[in-house]
Amino acid sequence: MILVFGGLASGKREYVKNELGYTDADISEDIYGGAPVLYNLHELINTDADSERYFDELLKKEVVICNDISCGIVPLDRAEREKREAVGRLLIRLAAEAKSVVRIQCGLAQIIKG
Amino acid sequence: MRTLVIGGGASGKSEYAEELFSALEGTKYYIATMMPYGEDSLARIEKHRKARRDRGFCTVEHYTDLAGLSLPTKGAVLLECLGNLTANELFYEGDSEKGAFEAIMRGVEALSEQSSDLVVVTNEVFSDGLDYDESTLAYIRTLALINRELARRFDTVIEVVCGIPVALKR
Repeated sequence: MILVFGGLASGKREYVKNELGYTDADISEDIYGGAPVLYNLHELINTDADSERYFDELLKKEVVICNDISCGIVPLDRAEREKREAVGRLLIRLAAEAKSVVRIQCGLAQIIKG
Repeated sequence: MRTLVIGGGASGKSEYAEELFSALEGTKYYIATMMPYGEDSLARIEKHRKARRDRGFCTVEHYTDLAGLSLPTKGAVLLECLGNLTANELFYEGDSEKGAFEAIMRGVEALSEQSSDLVVVTNEVFSDGLDYDESTLAYIRTLALINRELARRFDTVIEVVCGIPVALKR
């Protein structure tokens, strides 16, 4: 699995299409839909329980795309805080298992693992 | 050697900093800065206290006026973290932005003189827009200036992304 991570509209999908050779048809937000690329992982995860539920399935994907939601002030809202923590912790676990981790900034890819 | 470790929320920065710190020589002083306030922080503090006992760190809890902290001996020091320390100076002590900046810079240098090696953890909180109230914006500005100044002075700056260390300065 390749983990592609970066800010909103930073060029993650473009990278997956242009550099990794996938098409729009390969990219889906539906984790069980059979597409090789999962998009918007951060939308799927609200709690650590969600991470547990989806972890094994995520490892079967060829590519997982996730927004960076970690770089603001700690949210006042408890649910938002929990979501941010859960996404962060899951990313650490996925990155540890991934064969490659790519961080996208300004459309540029930085391969931080693999 | 002085190392600054930066990362977003739940990026793995603390775990990475503690790993670095564990490998250092001498007595290990862990300076904890989170004020025990509210249910969340109490649970977090208790979890961290237990983890540190298990690893043989000497924990010193110190929330404001870092320059007033005196360690019993020289040793390796981990300061965790500047995000809390800045909030404590601005919102608990009621320092001005300049006052908080100066108090923390003085504090880090005073700590540095007492340490064989120093690891400082800080937070990336700068990439989530400007839709905050004025006191939060003051906090963001102050922490940003502290990070920049320490990054200039320190030998090494490491950003942690998804648990992976990325060197910004070596």
